[in-house]
Amino acid sequence: MEGEVYLNYSIKSDLKLVQPTVAEIIGKLKRTVKKETLLTDLRLCLEEALINAIKHGNQQKRELEVNIEVKQRGRRVEFRVSDKGKGFDTTNIPDPTEKNNLQRPSGRGIFLIKKIMDEVRFFDGGRTIFMLKYLD
Amino acid sequence: MEIKEEIIEEVLVCSINGEINLDTSPHLRKLFDKAIHNKRKRVLVDFSGVTYIDSSGLATLIEMMQKVNKIGGQMRLSNLSDKVRNIFEITKLDKLFQIYPDRHRALENFIG
Repeated sequence: MEGEVYLNYSIKSDLKLVQPTVAEIIGKLKRTVKKETLLTDLRLCLEEALINAIKHGNQQKRELEVNIEVKQRGRRVEFRVSDKGKGFDTTNIPDPTEKNNLQRPSGRGIFLIKKIMDEVRFFDGGRTIFMLKYLD
Repeated sequence: MEIKEEIIEEVLVCSINGEINLDTSPHLRKLFDKAIHNKRKRVLVDFSGVTYIDSSGLATLIEMMQKVNKIGGQMRLSNLSDKVRNIFEITKLDKLFQIYPDRHRALENFIG
């Protein structure tokens, strides 16, 4: 886990860009993060955050950009994903594991992120999600 | 993602190879819709070759299970890798789906 990574991307709100963008970022993190399971976790969380930003944040308006900042230094991997949408109430996110929500097909993206990452915070009225994972 | 379809004793067995993600979920949904159209009441999804699943993949499977249940059928899953199973456990979907360790046990006593 030597060296450090800093990346900054701005992509159009096109769901087709999610996989290639995240694949490129994870490819660059592979230089310093060697554990495959950890890379899969990071990939999943970044993809879920990007999908949310494009779908729910920017309402898939292609011209609106999503910004992605990636920092890896020492044991820390940080992602910051920002959209240009209206934001949302981050204090009132339904729990998909509750009995009444378990059958609902959607609403698991943020939940997975919160479970997998070590720290998750929202800024700017929910337009920015900050995620942190410590490398073992 | 590749999907192999077989009929084994009136059970539609879908063996998936690859990732169930935002890009590939529509293919799976199409196959499931065809199965519902053909009134397939017993569906087994074999996860042996599934390397990754995201929330859109989970959503597709939930929708499918609901459609199968609606026509009086049943859907089962088998052969989940530890990594994929972990996603089901985190989201507690292991309580919603009937998950079997292998295909043989999943096919046993399949009631449609």
